[in-house]
Amino acid sequence: MRADAAAVAAPPVALELDLDVFDGPFDLLVTLILRDEIDIWEVRVSRIIAEYVVHLADTGEFDLDATSQFVVLVAALLEMKSRLLLEEEVEEELEDLDPDEAARQLLERLVRYSQFRNASGALRTAWDAHSARLYRNAPVPAELLRRRVPEGALSPSALAEALSPLLREPPVPDTSHLADLAVSLVKELRRLRLILEDAGEFTFAAVAPRDRLERAVTFFALLELHSSGEAHLRQTRHFGDIVVRRIAAPVPVAG
Amino acid sequence: MLPLARRLEALLFISSRPIAAHRLAEACRCAEEEAETALDALRAEYAAGEHGIELREVAGGFTFAVAEECAEDVRRFTGAEKPDELTPALLETLAVVAYLEPVTRAEIAEVRGVSSEYALGALEERGLVEQQGRADTPGAPVLYGTGERFLKLFGLTSRDDLPPLEEFALGADDVEEIRARLHANAERRAQ
Repeated sequence: MRADAAAVAAPPVALELDLDVFDGPFDLLVTLILRDEIDIWEVRVSRIIAEYVVHLADTGEFDLDATSQFVVLVAALLEMKSRLLLEEEVEEELEDLDPDEAARQLLERLVRYSQFRNASGALRTAWDAHSARLYRNAPVPAELLRRRVPEGALSPSALAEALSPLLREPPVPDTSHLADLAVSLVKELRRLRLILEDAGEFTFAAVAPRDRLERAVTFFALLELHSSGEAHLRQTRHFGDIVVRRIAAPVPVAG
Repeated sequence: MLPLARRLEALLFISSRPIAAHRLAEACRCAEEEAETALDALRAEYAAGEHGIELREVAGGFTFAVAEECAEDVRRFTGAEKPDELTPALLETLAVVAYLEPVTRAEIAEVRGVSSEYALGALEERGLVEQQGRADTPGAPVLYGTGERFLKLFGLTSRDDLPPLEEFALGADDVEEIRARLHANAERRAQ
């Protein structure tokens, strides 16, 4: 199985799991599943993924290699599990089929299949008669494949004319329509925290930049402040302004 | 020899692939029927057993081939080997592809009742089956079909030369016999 090879070849994924059926490192879990010592039925792959996301958030490190490795292994687990699910379904279907129906379906398939088997017999006869034949296969000399330009039809200067545009430096493409993202989420968070500390309260309209993309970043920063419990957000009507207030501040709610 | 036949002979000599009659006619600026008449004359001339080559119609056109009696010498001279024999599984898979193309791997497996991954790979390697794009269905599976090499090795002008699939259908007696056997098996299992 591919997962087996991947598990051997790549560095281990450092993830400690605490699942119903298993407690320990992720790599050990994969090994045990591959050795049939843990039934993959019992393992909720979504839990493993959730744990890994938490693990990533906790460590604050994003190792691309380790994460790719994790994705490969999880994909292999999902593939194994989905195969098992499908096998189960096929068996059930067959059990549900009454013997007559099963025989009828099988007959249909056999009749169809035997047509092709018989046809392959005819192909064998044709193969025996023709496969040893040697056809002309010498390639056409390259000069015969090209149509010749009549002599004297082109002057040497035509060559220079054809070459000169290729030698010219192409103009630098105009990228003015591509706006640089001037604000990063981290920077924006820092800016909003300062305002929050100084003023205790502000509105989105007052602090948001004009650029749409930058505005979006500001909005994300607000959500971050909210989810981290630093600020309270309030919007009294749809599309209205958002009032942001420091949670620690003992100021009463305004409009 | 007809003058047109000589001109066609020159075109066939210079070409390394089968050329369709209409393309020969185009090159010689004559009617296709004229070209066909001339080709018949040419074929008769080469079929008389006086030449080391013969004119054959294969893979959608006309081309020269080595006369059977001279093939041994040519192989010894060029080192060309006969193509490897095809196993029954390969031939069966090839039959499914040739009759159903363009066809996906899953459809082939469905007909044969077994995975045909190996057989398809081997046929592809021998140039008997080639990929012909992808199906417009979920997962966009690869479509397989046959090509010029298939037609040449089986001596076919086109896939229309394949005998109709219906010719290979089981006789009513055979079907009845299988049905009876399956029925007996099913009864036995049900008990």
